[in-house]
Amino acid sequence: MSEPEPSDPLRSCLRMAVSSLCTEVGYDCADSTALETVTEMAQSLIVELGRSARAFCELASRVEPVSADIVLSMVEMGIPVQGLKEYAMRSNRVTLPAPAQTVTAKQTAILHTGNKKRHPGHIQDHLPEMPDSHSYIRTPTHRQPVTDYESVREKAASQKRDVERALTRFIAKTGKIHNLFKTDDSNLFPLISCEKEEEGMKLPPYLDALMFKDQVFEEDEREYLPKKRKSSHNDMDDDDEDNVDKKAKLDESLAEVENIDNPFLRPVRLPRPVKTPVK
Amino acid sequence: MSHTNGQHDEQLSNGPSSNYQYQPVSEPGSLPVASTSPPISDFLVQLEDYTPTIPDSVTAHYLATAGLETTDPRILRLVSLAAQKFVSDVASDALTNCKMRQANATVTTTKKGGKEKKYVMTTEDLSLALGEHGVNVRKPPYYQ
Repeated sequence: MSEPEPSDPLRSCLRMAVSSLCTEVGYDCADSTALETVTEMAQSLIVELGRSARAFCELASRVEPVSADIVLSMVEMGIPVQGLKEYAMRSNRVTLPAPAQTVTAKQTAILHTGNKKRHPGHIQDHLPEMPDSHSYIRTPTHRQPVTDYESVREKAASQKRDVERALTRFIAKTGKIHNLFKTDDSNLFPLISCEKEEEGMKLPPYLDALMFKDQVFEEDEREYLPKKRKSSHNDMDDDDEDNVDKKAKLDESLAEVENIDNPFLRPVRLPRPVKTPVK
Repeated sequence: MSHTNGQHDEQLSNGPSSNYQYQPVSEPGSLPVASTSPPISDFLVQLEDYTPTIPDSVTAHYLATAGLETTDPRILRLVSLAAQKFVSDVASDALTNCKMRQANATVTTTKKGGKEKKYVMTTEDLSLALGEHGVNVRKPPYYQ
């Protein structure tokens, strides 16, 4: 049958029963129109029998129908009652299996949270269920802040530690580092290099601690060491290339001296005595 | 169903018991006893373990649409049996028509061996059969 499946499952059940009856009679196939016609007639017959039987039943002041009501309706409709028994006992009758009642799969709520309220007494059971409690209940929650002195103190301390650690590691990973040990593995205990390179010269790292930047007493005080080196270079040779060479040599010598290259282990450099201008 | 209600007088040729309600009034004295039938209540007992072709739930549903609610399955089976019998009768009449038609066809074409062994229920045969039962079916051969 090319027509779309009717939405009424019972009707299609009836149609199946009717077609099995036709097959029983001897038919091999049937026109869909003809089959529909017969099905329609069968349904109509059943409904009319029911209506008529109910009318007879109520006429007799009863509520429950009895077989006599059915018989009367059949008689009224002209359906012979006598042949029924023989028909029922026919040998080649076909029995269809009862249509299985497929329970519509209850949509398991995937996002099920919370419990649903039961139906109150005045609501029928066949009505839809109450929605999940989370859909209409809103409880604003705040986590109570911890005001314990001990825990707050601990939290502050651990945060400070974490910040320092993170910051130092960041600078160590991204900036110049010194190795504490002679091995090449720079991942162990990296020390952030605190060399200050000013005009090619290495200044002691504690320089900033000693020199106040906010108060400059005398301009000459600010620059003592690099001037000395530079001037010594200039004294030797004014050639740039030689300067560079000397510088390089100086660096190399320095490098040799500082085989560990640890700023804390450098040789002491004494400050140059400041010459006060004599007028 | 208004089809059969008004026209059942002429078509009852099936069972003998149907005659008793249609006795011509001219013989008032000789009304036959409702011959037969051990009352249908006996039959009901047999129905208890009988499963008709039309499932009980289907019958119950259609009866419920008419307002007949019953908890007794025998009533349901009685009704479904009646419907089944009706359908079988109509179908067998239509089959007879079909066979006659095929027999005529083979005779006219003088072909040896049955043309079609398959019996197809067509609307024409069905309308003829239903006409004998008092239902007039007129379907257009095509739908507009």
